[in-house]
Amino acid sequence: MANTDPDAGAARAGRKSYLSQSQAAFLLLLPFLAVYALFLVYPFFRGFWISLHDWNLLAVAFNPDAKEFVGLRNYERVMWGRNIEWAAFASPLLQGVGLLGMVAAAVLRYRGRISRATAVALATGSALLFLLPGFHPGEDGRWYDRRFWPTVGNTVLFVGLTVPGVTLTALILAAAMNRETRAMSVLRTLFFLSQVLSVTVVTLIWQIMFSPRQGLIANITEAFGGTPINWLTDEQFAMTAIVIATIWWSLGIAMILFLAGLQDISKDLYEAAALDNATGARAFWHITLPNLKRTITLVVILQIILHFQVFGQSHLMTQGGPNDTTQVLVRYIYQTGFRDSELGRASAMAVFLFVIMGGFSVLQFLVGREKE
Amino acid sequence: MKTILIGAAVAATVVTGATAQEVTLGRFFGACEDAGMDTKASVGEACIIQSIINAADAEIEGVSINTLPTDWGNYYDQIKAAYAGGTPPDVHVMHRHRVPEFAGLGALAEISGDLESVGIDPSDWTASARDAVTYEGGIYGVPMDLHANLWHVNMDIMAEAGLVDDGAPVLPSSPEELLEHAQMVKDATGHNYLAADFAQFPIGVRLVLALMWQQDANIFSEDGTATIDNGAARNAVTAITQLFDAGLADPQLNYADSQQSFLNGEAAVLVNGTWVVDFYSAEAAKEEVGLDNYYVADFPTLFEQGATWADTHMWAIPSPLKSDEDKYMAALKVLAFINDHNVDWARTGHMAVRTSVLESDEYNNLPHRDEYTGTARIARDTPPSERYGAIQDVLNRELQAIWLTGKPVGDALADAEIEVQDLLDR
Repeated sequence: MANTDPDAGAARAGRKSYLSQSQAAFLLLLPFLAVYALFLVYPFFRGFWISLHDWNLLAVAFNPDAKEFVGLRNYERVMWGRNIEWAAFASPLLQGVGLLGMVAAAVLRYRGRISRATAVALATGSALLFLLPGFHPGEDGRWYDRRFWPTVGNTVLFVGLTVPGVTLTALILAAAMNRETRAMSVLRTLFFLSQVLSVTVVTLIWQIMFSPRQGLIANITEAFGGTPINWLTDEQFAMTAIVIATIWWSLGIAMILFLAGLQDISKDLYEAAALDNATGARAFWHITLPNLKRTITLVVILQIILHFQVFGQSHLMTQGGPNDTTQVLVRYIYQTGFRDSELGRASAMAVFLFVIMGGFSVLQFLVGREKE
Repeated sequence: MKTILIGAAVAATVVTGATAQEVTLGRFFGACEDAGMDTKASVGEACIIQSIINAADAEIEGVSINTLPTDWGNYYDQIKAAYAGGTPPDVHVMHRHRVPEFAGLGALAEISGDLESVGIDPSDWTASARDAVTYEGGIYGVPMDLHANLWHVNMDIMAEAGLVDDGAPVLPSSPEELLEHAQMVKDATGHNYLAADFAQFPIGVRLVLALMWQQDANIFSEDGTATIDNGAARNAVTAITQLFDAGLADPQLNYADSQQSFLNGEAAVLVNGTWVVDFYSAEAAKEEVGLDNYYVADFPTLFEQGATWADTHMWAIPSPLKSDEDKYMAALKVLAFINDHNVDWARTGHMAVRTSVLESDEYNNLPHRDEYTGTARIARDTPPSERYGAIQDVLNRELQAIWLTGKPVGDALADAEIEVQDLLDR
């Protein structure tokens, strides 16, 4: 214990050799930085390096010279095509929403209704939504990789359904269970339990649940006289099925974060609100929600980053089918890298995924700094 | 550091030299707890292969076998990652269709010169089995079977529909007759005629491929041109979709559900491979299973010539193992043991690869064996390609799009042709 005392250390050295605060910080951070560099920074740059090559997984393993530097060609082959054109209204719905988003960001910021960071985020997102869907193959044109952008679309759809689903359900459950009774703590544990299961167990449970022959859902449907749905092989329901399984699985962490947020809200606020006749749903709307704003933002952004990396649910429950409707980005990267042995192409897609998630991390950073 | 490693390796060799040589074994077929060592009693692919491996572990002197996890789905991804990481299993099972990819890169050991030394006689293998393990003149594995798509038949349903003649099922000889039979079964019993996994694994792809081969067509040529958007493919697809359209088959069943529907006695015919013959026989014998009267038939000829999808399971040794003479010999002994037990593996329902086994009474007296003797003659597969897995995936996706999502046949075949051509051109 004495060794941690800086004075003792300095006395032993016989001269003043205090570490400056930043030196000490660096020293203490060193183990973390070393591990971080070795297992995250180096592999990232290595991955980027691989993405610039025509790199066959097996061939390079047996002959390191079998790779060929191709510059950005993998990116072109994955994301671009022949005779690609841009038009303002190639897909009117998405681009229209993007345009509206940009206008809304400008108006809301002008009126001071939203903070600068929120406005920038909204405007950037909307601009991308306006810009990206505008690209399409012109006459005689085609995408070089016909599966990539639909796969990105599926992934965005999955995130778009899962994140609100998890956030809303977790928020409602947290608000309902934010009481100091024994029953509630048992329930809290129960709802959290699903979170500790591995993806293989979760998908197995839900495959049985969704089975049209022996599943619980099919049995209930039949009891009410309906025909069971083939959840996992029906184009209309496959994505919904993996979203439901994912919401059930990832409720726990979001719920805990919300419970922590709820406990930070002072009881005085509710008492004051009660005097003004705001209880129940009105108190929730006017007291709870505004005070949870930062927790909600945190949960939403964490979930976005997490669910962009969805793999197991799609790989194990639907194998990306039917007809690629549940094919997601990480599964496509995995197939390209391991089944097709095209490590260069797979790495190019992985870099694309990194850029998306990096964008949301920056957003989280900006939002986190706000009002401080 | 290097000297420490070498020292440790030398010490390890000295220590283990006296004990058994450990051989790691990679396989799929699924897990079997308590497979035992009785290679004549186990049932189902997983348990039969594990009983053979357990027996090899016990009986081969100086060799102990460590079986790695046996998952199906990601088998080749794992094997490739293991090769890329420099730690492939010492022996592993694989399909004939993967030989171009693995042997083409020099990943597999060429073993033709060493077979006799462990008692494997390659001249006993059938011509198709020898072809299966041969790549550019060399032998890269020991074949274990010929497996193919069969028609598994519920004879009670067929009899009720009047489709049994002289103890054998009456099978269709044209797409029109297929529809007719299916309607007869529906009218007589209310059951579906045909069940198969059309929604998950590429069983539906293999069905369509067989019907294309029956018209002397193929999905791509040896020189690498995709030929999918054509009349033969359209005929093959519509032969099947006519059943879905008429409500005589269900495209939404996956592997487990289609199998369950057949075992429950809810389908007259299940299209599935040779690997389930002993399992279905055992199930049919059970009181509580809906299927009672089980029959196995060759895939019927609906067009000009007979054809059914087929492949071969084989065992290979990674090429780097050749530098470790002792371990290499131990691995070869394991392959020899499996080769010696060819008749036991054939109990699954697979066809044996050794002429001496094919001619033996033990083989010919296996249950249902005399019911699908034509299959070996009509066995087919697509031309060899390093992109076999990806091509099957394209076909599976586009065919599923037709029967699960209502994509027009012409669009799906045109898209499949473009994508397969992309893969062949890469």
